[in-house]
Amino acid sequence: MSLVEELTPREAAGKALADLGDLRNDVVVLVADTGETTRARFFAERHPDRFFNVGIAEQAMAAIAAGLASAGFMPYALTFAAFMARAWEIIRNSIARLNLPVRLVGTHAGFSDAYDGPSHQALEDLALFRVLPNFTVIAPADSCETYRAVMASAEVKGPVYIRVGRDFHVPTTCDMYKVFEVGKGYVALDGHDVALLTTGQMLSFALDAAHILKEKGISAAVLHFPTVKPLDLTLLSRYARTVKAIVTVEEHVVHGGFGSAVAEALINLGPKPMAIMGVKGFGRTAKSPADLYQFFGLTPDNIAARAEELISLSR
Amino acid sequence: MGSLSELACEARRRLLIMAAYDPGIHIGSSLSVLDILTALYGTGRVRFNAHNGLSTRNYLVLSKGHAVHAIYALASVFGYLNLDELRETGSLGSRLQNHPEDDTPFVDVSNSGSLGLGIGMAVGLALGLRLRGATGRVYLVTGDGELDEGVSWESFAVVASYGLSNVVTIVDLNNAQLDGPSDEVLKKGDLAGRFKAMGFFVQTVDGHDVDKLVEALEAAEKAGAPSVIIARTVRGKGVQGLEGSIKQRIPRDEALELAGRLSCR
Repeated sequence: MSLVEELTPREAAGKALADLGDLRNDVVVLVADTGETTRARFFAERHPDRFFNVGIAEQAMAAIAAGLASAGFMPYALTFAAFMARAWEIIRNSIARLNLPVRLVGTHAGFSDAYDGPSHQALEDLALFRVLPNFTVIAPADSCETYRAVMASAEVKGPVYIRVGRDFHVPTTCDMYKVFEVGKGYVALDGHDVALLTTGQMLSFALDAAHILKEKGISAAVLHFPTVKPLDLTLLSRYARTVKAIVTVEEHVVHGGFGSAVAEALINLGPKPMAIMGVKGFGRTAKSPADLYQFFGLTPDNIAARAEELISLSR
Repeated sequence: MGSLSELACEARRRLLIMAAYDPGIHIGSSLSVLDILTALYGTGRVRFNAHNGLSTRNYLVLSKGHAVHAIYALASVFGYLNLDELRETGSLGSRLQNHPEDDTPFVDVSNSGSLGLGIGMAVGLALGLRLRGATGRVYLVTGDGELDEGVSWESFAVVASYGLSNVVTIVDLNNAQLDGPSDEVLKKGDLAGRFKAMGFFVQTVDGHDVDKLVEALEAAEKAGAPSVIIARTVRGKGVQGLEGSIKQRIPRDEALELAGRLSCR
């Protein structure tokens, strides 16, 4: 996996597709003039006959992917996560409603496309796909997990959305576990005072926050949920019973995303003092994702402070 | 079995019976597309008992899914549905729903109802068939109103760009959509010219002349290029009081009376 560790998240997705294409001849790939930017090119180079560029036409990409799935293929359709949303109604009617095995890979998600600003920064995609029946929603933490998630997605029966970053990532999961299971959450760090729950690239931030908390004598568990839907309720309920508070962290709006999913589950499992950390509003142009994490208050310091505050409130 | 036009007439009668029992059906649109579907089903190009997974067969995508009742009516004429089931169309427990759903019989792909989506679906099917080396074709039936949708032309651009000769598009040009005549709601311009400019083999025919439609299908199949048949039709065709009207719903008594008056031989 060391090779994957050196790739960017989008490169890892492209490599996974190319490898998946070697393993399965039913895998086809569609792009909307995004073969290069999503690195689906890696697949195209190895499997040119199974690669379709539909031009800058996300709606047609989604509809045609549904047609290819109806013809017995397993289509992976890739474009910027922000622009996948343009095809949402088509995804609802042609893919989700028919429960077709179409895999949508939205790249440049979250703040990873800092340069292009809010028009390109998808901060709503988890919410948009989470509300669709039949959809599995995955947000990997880094390149290693992106590679594993794309490979594992081939085994999912219905449609899948995979959220992938552009270039920014902190390799975190490469040695954390061996096999990626769709629908499974992972204990990145054990703890008993507070649980920091993350999805996507916020995992490394939460681990750093846990170390800050440790120095203050607070034991923080870090639970990583690469699969946002279906959520791993077994892992969630195990920690929800023991910790004093729960903080969710996501590179996404605070409405309808990962934190909302956790809150919806906790209503049934037994509510806890809880904070949903994320973004309120749209993104912003910046020279690096790091600047944006800082600007929007999504840093290890912010996470630790929020956890500490919640614990003090729950005493 | 009678001639194709006799079968179409009997199907019209059954549409009226359905309309009497289900106020939710779009009878005007179903009557407009009926002869096109008769040409496809009546010549065995597409079949009522086909199942997905057969790589040699042809597919039908009815993108104007609200006219699915025309398929139900034809299915009953061909003996695949009885009148009792037809009368239950649109009921909660019936498999004959008012748009094609995933449990709807006789429908290859059910993602229509939202306009324009069937076109992309047909293109994906055609790409898939070609990739498999399958000999079957995709017959795509669209309305003219749904050509307002951007995704329609995005999808046709892919047909042209990939030279998909295994999809035959038939436009049910009835010049009617929700808010009025299609050309008044949004000008379609020279539709044949638009397709020609994209490299399609274009034919324009009377969409209620089944023999002419069959001839056009044969020519389209031989074209070896993306092809479109622009079928000029009339909403409500073949039923007095409905023909040429924008009416989609009729009262039960009127529907039954019209069905009784329709003479097919």
